Amino acid sequence: MRGISILGLLLGLAVGIGLALIYTWEIDPVIERNTAPWQLSDSAREDYVVAVALSYAENQDLQLAFDRLRQLRPSQDVWTVVAQIACERHKRVQVKTNSDVVVMRALEQLYRPQGASGCADGQYPTPAPVNFVTQVPTPFPTSTLTPPATKTPTPVLFTSEPETPFAPTATVSFAGSYVLARINPFCDSDVNGVIQVNVYDNNGQGIAGVPVRVSWAGDQSDLFYTGLVPDEGPEYGDFVMEAGRTYTVAVASAGAAQQSVEAVPCGSDSSLITSYQISFRRED
Amino acid sequence: MKRTIGSLLIGLLAGIGIGIYLGWEQFPVEYTNSSLAALAPWYQDEYTVMVAEGYGVDQDVNAALLRLQPLGKDNIFDYVQTLTERYISQSNVPNITPMVALAEAMGRLTPVMEIYRSTPAPQPDALAAP
Repeated sequence: MRGISILGLLLGLAVGIGLALIYTWEIDPVIERNTAPWQLSDSAREDYVVAVALSYAENQDLQLAFDRLRQLRPSQDVWTVVAQIACERHKRVQVKTNSDVVVMRALEQLYRPQGASGCADGQYPTPAPVNFVTQVPTPFPTSTLTPPATKTPTPVLFTSEPETPFAPTATVSFAGSYVLARINPFCDSDVNGVIQVNVYDNNGQGIAGVPVRVSWAGDQSDLFYTGLVPDEGPEYGDFVMEAGRTYTVAVASAGAAQQSVEAVPCGSDSSLITSYQISFRRED
Repeated sequence: MKRTIGSLLIGLLAGIGIGIYLGWEQFPVEYTNSSLAALAPWYQDEYTVMVAEGYGVDQDVNAALLRLQPLGKDNIFDYVQTLTERYISQSNVPNITPMVALAEAMGRLTPVMEIYRSTPAPQPDALAAP
């Protein structure tokens, strides 16, 4: 030990370690390989979470999705992370294609049942299945032949009671042929299981007083009129459905188009029933 | 003076050795801003399966290709075909069906994948039957 200077040895050791660490951490670090999901950048994490959500939408394996998300080692609840990513995508308007909408639905389908929530909640509701009824073409009415005049004149019967005076009736505003212009299923907790009917004329003007018939269960029906809710406009009328039933909606006039809708739950939330906006247009 | 310089050199060499061990082995740089291309192969394969399952949801092969691009593969089609055939050879049943569907959508359906298609093509014999 007589030949060694402790001070010099320690100093050399410190300088050597310092230089080596600079070299191994900054100049020539280990080559990046075998990275785990928790080491991904923010954008790559988003891609990974989207893939997990799409996978879950296909296989419905919640445990597998949870295990995959846990590999991100998030600092908070994994479902909250999914909700945040959905919110960010919604804010950044990254929803342009049908596939983007599918992604948003898959993300929400993953986080909402687990109790997480975010700004994308309910922004991309899954449309309820809509059954379109194929309209049976109405055959042209056959003209009724006027019976030939008989030679024997019909005797005029005189009665002692006075005839009922003829009272002219006003032209009915809703007369005409109606076609289905638009149907839009939607989910809204403020409007739960409601059929919203709007009736317009050929110029797009709302028509008030149009009778709309809703029928269900084969023999049950109800009639309501447009224009009874002034705040919604003259063209508007609505009907509240019961869950699980199928309803047929039609303007109550001859030959009018009809539309069947089902009061099905909105996605996984069984308490919220799908509502429908149905528009009819009068063809003059 | 010689003694001090000699000690300094000895310490320097020892320090460099220790530092290299610490910097490359014991406490290597941990990347936390990595791309999907840097994922370990196992994770890349799992990510590809997830994308394939996503294709089963939206049926959008272009979207699937866009999701696979960050993996940085030279040829995504080759990669999907190879991975699918590997899963078939490994009898990795849960992953085979979605991967075969994606490979087929990419035009890389090979004979070994044929029986794993969700809707197999009718056999010639079946067509010839009365």
